[in-house]
Amino acid sequence: MSDRTLVSGDAMALVRAYKLRNLRRILLVCLAFVLLAGLVVIDITTGPADLSIWRTIQVILDRSIATPKEDVIIWQLRLPVALMAIAVGAMLGVAGAEMQTILNNPLADPFTLGLSSAAGFGAALAIVLGWSVIPAVGGLFVSVNAFVFAMLTSCALFLFTRLRGVTPEAMILVGIAMLFTFNALLAFLQYGASEIQLAQLIFWQLGSLARATWGKVGICFAILLLMLPWFMSRSWALTALRMGEDKAAALGVNVGLLRITVLAGVSLLAAVAVSFVGAIAFVGLVGPHIARMIVGEDQRGFLPLSALCGALIISGTSIASKAITPGIVYPIGMITSLIGIPFFILLILGQRKRHWQ
Amino acid sequence: MSFFKRVGALTCAFVAGSLLATPATTAWAEALTFTDIAGREVTLPEMPDKIILGEGRMMYGIAPLIEGNPFEKIVGWKSDLVQYDPDAFRKYEGAFPEDTARMIDFGNPYAGDFSIEAVLEAETDLVILDVGNLFKAEETGLIEKLGNAGVQVAFIDFRRNATENAVPSMLILGRIFGEERRAAEFIDFYIAQMRKVTNIVDTIPAEDRPLVVVENAAGWQTDFCCWSFGPYNYGRFVELAGGKNYASTLANAYSVDLNLEGIIEADPDVVFGTGANWKEARPEVTSTLLGYDGDPEVNSERLAALAARPGFADLRAVKDGRFHSIYHQFYNSPYHFIAIQVLAKWLHPEDFEDLDPEATFQELHDRFLPYETSGQFWITLNK
Repeated sequence: MSDRTLVSGDAMALVRAYKLRNLRRILLVCLAFVLLAGLVVIDITTGPADLSIWRTIQVILDRSIATPKEDVIIWQLRLPVALMAIAVGAMLGVAGAEMQTILNNPLADPFTLGLSSAAGFGAALAIVLGWSVIPAVGGLFVSVNAFVFAMLTSCALFLFTRLRGVTPEAMILVGIAMLFTFNALLAFLQYGASEIQLAQLIFWQLGSLARATWGKVGICFAILLLMLPWFMSRSWALTALRMGEDKAAALGVNVGLLRITVLAGVSLLAAVAVSFVGAIAFVGLVGPHIARMIVGEDQRGFLPLSALCGALIISGTSIASKAITPGIVYPIGMITSLIGIPFFILLILGQRKRHWQ
Repeated sequence: MSFFKRVGALTCAFVAGSLLATPATTAWAEALTFTDIAGREVTLPEMPDKIILGEGRMMYGIAPLIEGNPFEKIVGWKSDLVQYDPDAFRKYEGAFPEDTARMIDFGNPYAGDFSIEAVLEAETDLVILDVGNLFKAEETGLIEKLGNAGVQVAFIDFRRNATENAVPSMLILGRIFGEERRAAEFIDFYIAQMRKVTNIVDTIPAEDRPLVVVENAAGWQTDFCCWSFGPYNYGRFVELAGGKNYASTLANAYSVDLNLEGIIEADPDVVFGTGANWKEARPEVTSTLLGYDGDPEVNSERLAALAARPGFADLRAVKDGRFHSIYHQFYNSPYHFIAIQVLAKWLHPEDFEDLDPEATFQELHDRFLPYETSGQFWITLNK
């Protein structure tokens, strides 16, 4: 009751500043959202086929007016790719953000723990040996293999942390062990691959949106819709964790449980994203850093902005990959870094205070 | 040391050595010296009779040269023929079961290296490599190490610059196997069959050349379209057969990854893919299974399924019935004149009405190959 009596000028200023910060955060997220919407429109309206922006929007709003060619190009080729780009970007952005948070390490991303190498190995098993982990999944078996191996890796990580305690160091070290194990196994398969298999493998590893279908887009958005609200509901605890493990524990956070459950969510996000589009490493690492520099550590702003930054980077990549040589598909993994890095460097140079504490 | 310097040094050393040795040796007359496709001078002290093939599919080039048993001088190969063209392998197996069984398997040709010990163990005289492995063979010191042990390496090429290198490669194989006369016969046949197409294509003006999209290994990846060839291999075959190769207009690369939307926009006149019997190694492929065991009914269903993929069904080429599939392995064999004849008929049906690639294929088998033809090697979509 004592704070009520203490409502003096100072406290009012504090409240005002807090409200202002909240407002600023909401504005920044909205701004990023508008930017993303703009990029998606550009993504959908560009391509080798010469369709006007207006006509494209008309066809999106009313599919029945489309000619067969427009229907195929817009509804079956461009829309799934554009939506897949933002879904995968957001998934990797969120996964990276939470990985950095729970491991308390600025260099952590979904790939640090070997998830992408595991997925790559699963895909290579399918591509080179034609070996499917789960039978009767048909042409999807490359994706399914990648997913199963990524999830198995995080299960192994769980088991290990159960044995040795859930410290960030232990998780990172086991993750690195996984990374090298799967890279070695992958190299074995690559060595035995034929010319065509090698081309397919390299293309898969560099990441590509060209395989997007409505089904995959649906799965990605469903998982995002499931995970994002859940992470948001835990945002106070995650923010507290960044102040230090002891402080978080003092505030009533079960740190071990939080780490394990968030790791499960992150694994799911990263595994699905990687299994559908291949390994795209840069986004999960740098997306969250960009978000942190702009909005700070508070998860209520940091989390959505990480998702949006990831989506912005991949969406921009999708546009660039079409623009280099119309008609040729460039793997997006090659371009993501080139798109994101200039902006990233600018932010680093513009930082006055340390953004990682 | 650069490659050329090394070759230069080796040559000098060799010349010096041979000058000293000349008076003493009588076997000198039997020595074999030739320049391979990599431009290297290869010298063997006598005709090789223990040879290792850097690719099993080199048999496509060797079999026509030898009237008896083409495996006589071959001790080992890599496993690509067995794995990626099982139909053709079974043909050889049927004709020479003991020889195919005794072949030493050196594994995957794309890995590009050899167990040098196994090569020496087989008392090999010569290793024949695809020119695509030149860089790797130099980097790993394979050529040098084998050379020190008295094993020579020669490069041939039926793939990278297939049409340019087929004749010189056949000449080289002819000399290696001491079958120059048969090689000349095959080359005569090859040139005659190529000219049947190119003589007429030369008279076709540029604006009458249809736009063609080649889909390399169509259906190998079930969820992605499309790999294609730039102005090499099948891309080059299209140009020689009087077409414009779509991927060549985009990039000057051996392999080009095409965007399906770009294909739809380009509105090609003709679309064809390559296929072979990959189903045994990879059950999920949806490609056509062309080859010596090709079944027309199966392939016709598979081609229809390829044509019905989203984005393909509405292509003008598909609607006009100008959607085809052809045997993939013509891309790595001196028999590519067959492919060029088939393409010519697809691209210019009226100009090539009298051309009969079936008959050419039959003649190739009758005159040059140790087994009968069978199966199916190309197919057109039924409208």
